[in-house]
Amino acid sequence: MSKYAIVLLLSVIVPFLLSFWPPLKFYRNLRSLLLSILTIVIIFGAWDVFATWRGHWYFNSGMVWPLRLANLPLEEWLFFVVIPFCCIFTWEVVKYLRLKIK
Amino acid sequence: MKEYTLLSIFSLFLIFLIEVRLKSGIFKLKIFWLFLLIIAVFKLLVNGYLTGRNIVIYNPNFFLGIRLGSIPIEDFIFGFSMVSLTVILWEHFNKEKI
Repeated sequence: MSKYAIVLLLSVIVPFLLSFWPPLKFYRNLRSLLLSILTIVIIFGAWDVFATWRGHWYFNSGMVWPLRLANLPLEEWLFFVVIPFCCIFTWEVVKYLRLKIK
Repeated sequence: MKEYTLLSIFSLFLIFLIEVRLKSGIFKLKIFWLFLLIIAVFKLLVNGYLTGRNIVIYNPNFFLGIRLGSIPIEDFIFGFSMVSLTVILWEHFNKEKI
């Protein structure tokens, strides 16, 4: 496991497991979830590909997997899947808790 | 103006335009800002680690050079844009009739 991959795994593990908790009803909105994540992957992936091509930033080859897509390490692409997932999860939890408190 | 700085500010305008177009209304909600605060804590951990351990390395020619800890301030705008757009899209697709 690369350092970057461990960071992603640690970020997603709790949101992923708790997303099966029935009150959040994630499974009912699978289409929205996939469409939202896909849009983020396309838009922010494009930005990242451009920035890496221009040299705004680069990745430490010792800390990521050697597999690259459009010059981005696989972990960087997974970042745009994992982080939106964690965000949507957190957003739903915040909305759910507000309803409970009211 | 530095390229990354410019791009991040441009993304901010784009997100506000998309928000107005899709009428999510999230920026007027108190819980959105509470949500953003929670995300910011995790962002500091993840982004702080990625930049602090030099997993991602920034070229000083393309950003202002101002950092919060190890995180370039442009990354906060990038993050804000990405997180806001995620919620805007999620709310938008949920409203759509299939």
